[in-house]
Amino acid sequence: MTTQNQASLYVSEKIVQNVKTITFIRSSMSAITGSAAGILGLTGYYGFIFYGITSLFTSFLIWAAKAQAKPSLYFRNGLDVWTEGIFGGLFSYVLFWTLLYGIVHVYD
Amino acid sequence: MSHQVLSTLAESQSLYLDPAIRDWVLIPIMIVMVLVGVFRDQITVLLSGGTKKATLKAIRESKVLMRGAALRSYGNHIPPLSFLNRKNYLTNAYKKGDYLKNPASMNQTVNPMTDPQGMEMMMEGMKKNIAMIIPQTIIMGWINFFFSGFVLIKLPFPLTLRFKSMLQRGVETPDMDVTWVSSLSWYFLNLFGLRSIFTLLLGEDNAADGMREMTAMSQMTASPTGQPQDFHKLHLAESENLELTPHSWELNDIEHRLLTRYGKREQQKIIDSTENVIESNEKNAIEAASASSYSEHKGKSRRKSGKH
Repeated sequence: MTTQNQASLYVSEKIVQNVKTITFIRSSMSAITGSAAGILGLTGYYGFIFYGITSLFTSFLIWAAKAQAKPSLYFRNGLDVWTEGIFGGLFSYVLFWTLLYGIVHVYD
Repeated sequence: MSHQVLSTLAESQSLYLDPAIRDWVLIPIMIVMVLVGVFRDQITVLLSGGTKKATLKAIRESKVLMRGAALRSYGNHIPPLSFLNRKNYLTNAYKKGDYLKNPASMNQTVNPMTDPQGMEMMMEGMKKNIAMIIPQTIIMGWINFFFSGFVLIKLPFPLTLRFKSMLQRGVETPDMDVTWVSSLSWYFLNLFGLRSIFTLLLGEDNAADGMREMTAMSQMTASPTGQPQDFHKLHLAESENLELTPHSWELNDIEHRLLTRYGKREQQKIIDSTENVIESNEKNAIEAASASSYSEHKGKSRRKSGKH
């Protein structure tokens, strides 16, 4: 089979649904990890490194638990599992990081 | 020296904020922004809920385009004859305008002012814009009016001095660290950060967050969505696309694929008749080209010899 035939085997509604699932996981995880970073009192680059590590861990969990190590069954591009929604999550991570950092460490 | 640096560092750290600021500014702003997002989503649902009903013919008009697209992308799954039948039928229907809402108006351009549905669509777009702009302006004015002039929170990450005038608006203190910011930057942080929270609260396609609609609006100026589309043109384009679609049936070499799958035959030994034809065609073409170039060459040389 040619590559074009392969691509037409995916049903786009299902792919949209899968992307939604990933967005949901990423949104909640970025809020949770942002709160964690704020409570831990991370500042500066440590906070962003923490975001990188936790989002990598989340990607691994999605890859292992949700996609059962076969992401190409669920997405046109298997790498989507690792990259989808990382930048959208960064903003809410920063929001919750700032909020919890302020509440815990700035106001006493 | 180092002692001095440490002491200044400690001084910059030792800014105590009144807990009342937290209780009456920091948390209320966030709550208000979340609630306004939910409110905006509900308003959009309310405004667009009633006008969703399209007539049967209007639905058919757009769905027949999807039918053509489906045939184009999944056509390889059906035998050549079936594909040809569908292709001929659809292209004919597209060209004659069988599926148009109003076949009589095939050639005249649609005026959005006379078409009641086009009018409705335009109104809807305007309503959405209003629902988006007004809350944003009100919140920003509210924050600027009541909460300017004091430091609200400390950002946990450093920023360059360039941001100082933007983030510390209303706090004219030249020596203060940039990480202490006023309420307007908290507003912007919320504006961007709450986007994915709205996804959690209201589902994927919500209308809560204004920034997405802002980008949608900037696109809208390029192509106004209020304008109803000319479906006859779309149908003609689709028929052209269909006519250009090649068809190669999935089951053409099924025997071979089956045999290789169960290990009865080696992998790469397809002697495809079509490929052979193509190859021979190419060979012919190449030969013809070389022959012509040869004759050209000859002609040139002859001319040259003539000069000589």
